[in-house]
Amino acid sequence: MPAVSKGDGMRGLAVFISDIRNCKSKEAEIKRINKELANIRSKFKGDKALDGYSKKKYVCKLLFIFLLGHDIDFGHMEAVNLLSSNKYTEKQIGYLFISVLVNSNSELIRLINNAIKNDLSSRNPTFMCLALHCIANVGSREMAEAFAGEIPRILVAGDTMDSVKQSAALCLLRLYKTSPDLVLMGEWTSRVVHLLNDQHMGVVTAAISLITCLSQKNPDEFKTCVSLAVSRLSRIVSSASTDLQDYTYYFVPAPWLSCKLLRLLQCYPPPEDGAVKGRLVECLETILNKAQEPPKSKKVQHSNAKNAILFEAIALIIHYDSEPNLLVRACNQLGQFLQHRETNLRYLALESMCTLASSEFSHEAVKTHIETVINALKTERDVSVRQRAADLLYAMCDRSNAKQIVAEMLSYLETADYSIREEMVLKVAILAEKYAVDYSWYVDTILNLIRIAGDYVSEEVWYRVIQIVINRDDVQGYAAKTVFEALQAPACHENMVKVGGYILGEFGNLIAGDPRSSPLVQFNLLHSKFHLCSVPTRALLLSAYIKFINLFPETKTTIQEVLRCDSQIRNSDVELQQRAVEYLKLSSIASTDVLATVLEEMPPFPERESSILAKLKKKKGPGAVSNELEEGKREGGELNGAGERPGDSSSTPSPSADLLGLRSAAPVSAAPPSAGSLLVDVFSEAGPAAPAASVNDDGFLRFVCKNNGVLFENQLLQIGIKSEYRQNLGRMYLFYGNKTSVQFVSFTTTLNVQLKPVDPLVEGGAQVQQVINIECITDFSEAPILNIKFRYGGALQNLSLKLPVTINKFFQPTEMASNDFFQRWKQLSQPQQEAQKIFKANHAMDTEVIKAKLLGLGTALLDKVDPNPENFVCAGVIQTKSQQVGCLLRLEPNAQAQMYRLTLRSSKDTVSKRLCDLLAEQF
Amino acid sequence: MMRFLLLFSRQGKLRLQKWFLPMTEREKKKIIRDMTTMVLARKPRTCNFLHWRDLKIVYKRYASLYFCCGLEDQDNELLALEVLHRYVELLDKYFGSVCELDIIFNFEKAYFILDEFLMGGEIQETSKQSIAKSIEASDMLQETMEEYMSKPAF
Repeated sequence: MPAVSKGDGMRGLAVFISDIRNCKSKEAEIKRINKELANIRSKFKGDKALDGYSKKKYVCKLLFIFLLGHDIDFGHMEAVNLLSSNKYTEKQIGYLFISVLVNSNSELIRLINNAIKNDLSSRNPTFMCLALHCIANVGSREMAEAFAGEIPRILVAGDTMDSVKQSAALCLLRLYKTSPDLVLMGEWTSRVVHLLNDQHMGVVTAAISLITCLSQKNPDEFKTCVSLAVSRLSRIVSSASTDLQDYTYYFVPAPWLSCKLLRLLQCYPPPEDGAVKGRLVECLETILNKAQEPPKSKKVQHSNAKNAILFEAIALIIHYDSEPNLLVRACNQLGQFLQHRETNLRYLALESMCTLASSEFSHEAVKTHIETVINALKTERDVSVRQRAADLLYAMCDRSNAKQIVAEMLSYLETADYSIREEMVLKVAILAEKYAVDYSWYVDTILNLIRIAGDYVSEEVWYRVIQIVINRDDVQGYAAKTVFEALQAPACHENMVKVGGYILGEFGNLIAGDPRSSPLVQFNLLHSKFHLCSVPTRALLLSAYIKFINLFPETKTTIQEVLRCDSQIRNSDVELQQRAVEYLKLSSIASTDVLATVLEEMPPFPERESSILAKLKKKKGPGAVSNELEEGKREGGELNGAGERPGDSSSTPSPSADLLGLRSAAPVSAAPPSAGSLLVDVFSEAGPAAPAASVNDDGFLRFVCKNNGVLFENQLLQIGIKSEYRQNLGRMYLFYGNKTSVQFVSFTTTLNVQLKPVDPLVEGGAQVQQVINIECITDFSEAPILNIKFRYGGALQNLSLKLPVTINKFFQPTEMASNDFFQRWKQLSQPQQEAQKIFKANHAMDTEVIKAKLLGLGTALLDKVDPNPENFVCAGVIQTKSQQVGCLLRLEPNAQAQMYRLTLRSSKDTVSKRLCDLLAEQF
Repeated sequence: MMRFLLLFSRQGKLRLQKWFLPMTEREKKKIIRDMTTMVLARKPRTCNFLHWRDLKIVYKRYASLYFCCGLEDQDNELLALEVLHRYVELLDKYFGSVCELDIIFNFEKAYFILDEFLMGGEIQETSKQSIAKSIEASDMLQETMEEYMSKPAF
């Protein structure tokens, strides 16, 4: 039992707390608590009316039990009753219980609000403060609705006591933060600003928090506060340490108010009025000077309070970013702190310098401390300080010191704390990319990263190195050579195998001339790692192998043997098995031309924000990685810089999702990328619904002969499609991928057909899926239009897309012999049953590719029907709910003229015409 | 503004929790767990600041109790350390060389004192004298009020 028990001791409560403390086990504690709960419950339910004291005691016990971590589901009503007690302690306990336990239980809130209203109008300052505290603690919308009008009146009324003013100011701030719409600006606002001049330091201290928040939201309305704040600050800074009596804290005059004033000034640009500005600069200089004076006390409280003001002043100097003299002084001061014996100051100095590094005036000055910072990274005993050092190195990095900084970070990584490794890896990867002058250094750095901290290298990082190598042909040979060497290590990280497999599969030919890295040596090296790798890596290696067959025909038999062995072709993992089977088949039946087309080198990736950067931003939370910094320090010659490679965006496979490209479509149907532009930006900023004219159908046409792929992509959004059809039914999966790191809100899609709603929020980097079931009722030529709306940041994005549902999707192939075909052909001889087009070839006239497309169309490709072997003949039946439409097709290529003649006959003229139109765009 | 203030013992027992923004019980429990494990794992003489999610964590140990608070990005860490210190001073002044047991047995007083000092996560009053005076006044008020109430009615 404590010696002190001021005010009214509640003996029963003290006994209960002792009992709990004496419990030897958790079970005993729970038992004791349950006993007490039962007791209280029976008391509350009992017939005998409880007196105020007992009620208070039991409510207090419940509160104690709740604070121990147990749930409390009764007693709220008794607590509310206490509010209207005229005994102060009972009222106080009632308010405490409600502040801690009540959320927004609407039934109770009304009763509570009633009690609060009575206390607010009681003119008893103690009761008023209790009520205001309760509002601030609960802060629900119902309370804001009830009191947001009343509190400003209390705040500025002439006869309000100082202590009530303080509570009212902060209570109002709390309501303004949760329900700004309910706190209406008015005549009181100008009077609030003048509280900065109030005689009572406590009132100023409380009011300034409110004023700062209001100024941030309504800077113009409150801008008179700047000169008031400056003069108040100036008075405090120049006062002797004893002038402010109890507001002097360990010989520092009003540290809290000073910091708040400096913080308020950070809501505004530097004062325009010369006199005000002069006075402020004087204050800032005085604060910087004081830092050099000997301390007035050895107590840490003294130096903390003094330095708190100093750091806030430096923050203001950095915010103004216009006084080179002050900036350099600030930087020097922080430089001193970097070597201070107080760990706290070293930590804060590193943190402040991060922001200073982004100012053009002080960037160079910050750089002079590089050795100290590197030293901190190596020698600080405290991981959170080391982390700040790493942050600062990242912030101070530019072209001149990138190699040194990246090297130091890499060597630190070997011993870095596990908790910060992933972030360090991201930072190294970003710096290496951003400041790469020659890309061999970049490739070396990333491979080193994988070697040193392979487990922490996320897929964004290794995807990125592959994207860059693919986009920069000057580095491909070097990359191939380097990964080949890296793979020689007896134990190398799986990520290294992934990068190695991918790069050798694409560019192994560039080093194949050297007998030490001949194709077979390369293959054997990769395959020696195969069995130690996880399924996704093995799948990647299988793709690398098939690419080898294309690059080096001499490896074909070896690789086919590998693919053919049971561990591949009968692998229990369906993905591996499928790849093995398909690749084996592909390599044995396809001609070299087809192989070369299907397994072509990956086209360059489109330029976009590095996904690594997005990941770092996400990891650090909003605001942690300064965007300004990223933008401000960008220099020319960035990797993949827009415009460096004209045409980058014109032909591209799906750039995200699966880097390997091969995964999404079976090799046979993988059509070469069409030359048409896929990346058409139809987004108009906050425009009305896009009219049909701007409907994007470039993506649409690519899907006539295939079912899966990327329908649409721009900077923000990627829409992928997977679809399957059977008879007159179809199912389409739409995948909406958010490519940014910011959430999309109010995401809606509408279709001129019925559509299940999609989740309205799409998180940054996330993907949501939508399924559409399709039934073909009758034949059609217009595609359904999908309208997508969402908010990205503030801007409304609006997008209309033609869904690639075309009449040919409902084809059933029909095999028939030559006789049958011509007989039917003749039956469909009415002029309107035939549609014909003669058109120029848009793509190479490769027989295999044409065949693949015709199969993709859904018809049966009939062999040995047409007397001319160059021609293609197909047949199929379109299934609709109402009828079946038989179709015959004949495609006659003329290689010399690079032209085609396409003829379609069907039992329905609209179908012939539509199919002819669709197909004419495909070859 | 300060988002929360926690007092816990070296064994990780929570002695006081104050939340300045509404939060679900789940979130609260998660924060309590994270704070106690993070802070208790720190070695002595390391710095008093940490980053956790988007918050700055400032903590300090006084005898057997840890005082730990979560700050928003623009808040001043050093000043927050002194907020903790001033709170300790206020408790000390009220209880007379305060110890953990005082806070356990008089937890409601610890809350009342905190309410005089901070509101909505902002400083309401920094003067030790003013706060002590108003706490005393309310103690007095309750005594006089009780005397008054116990007087026989006319």
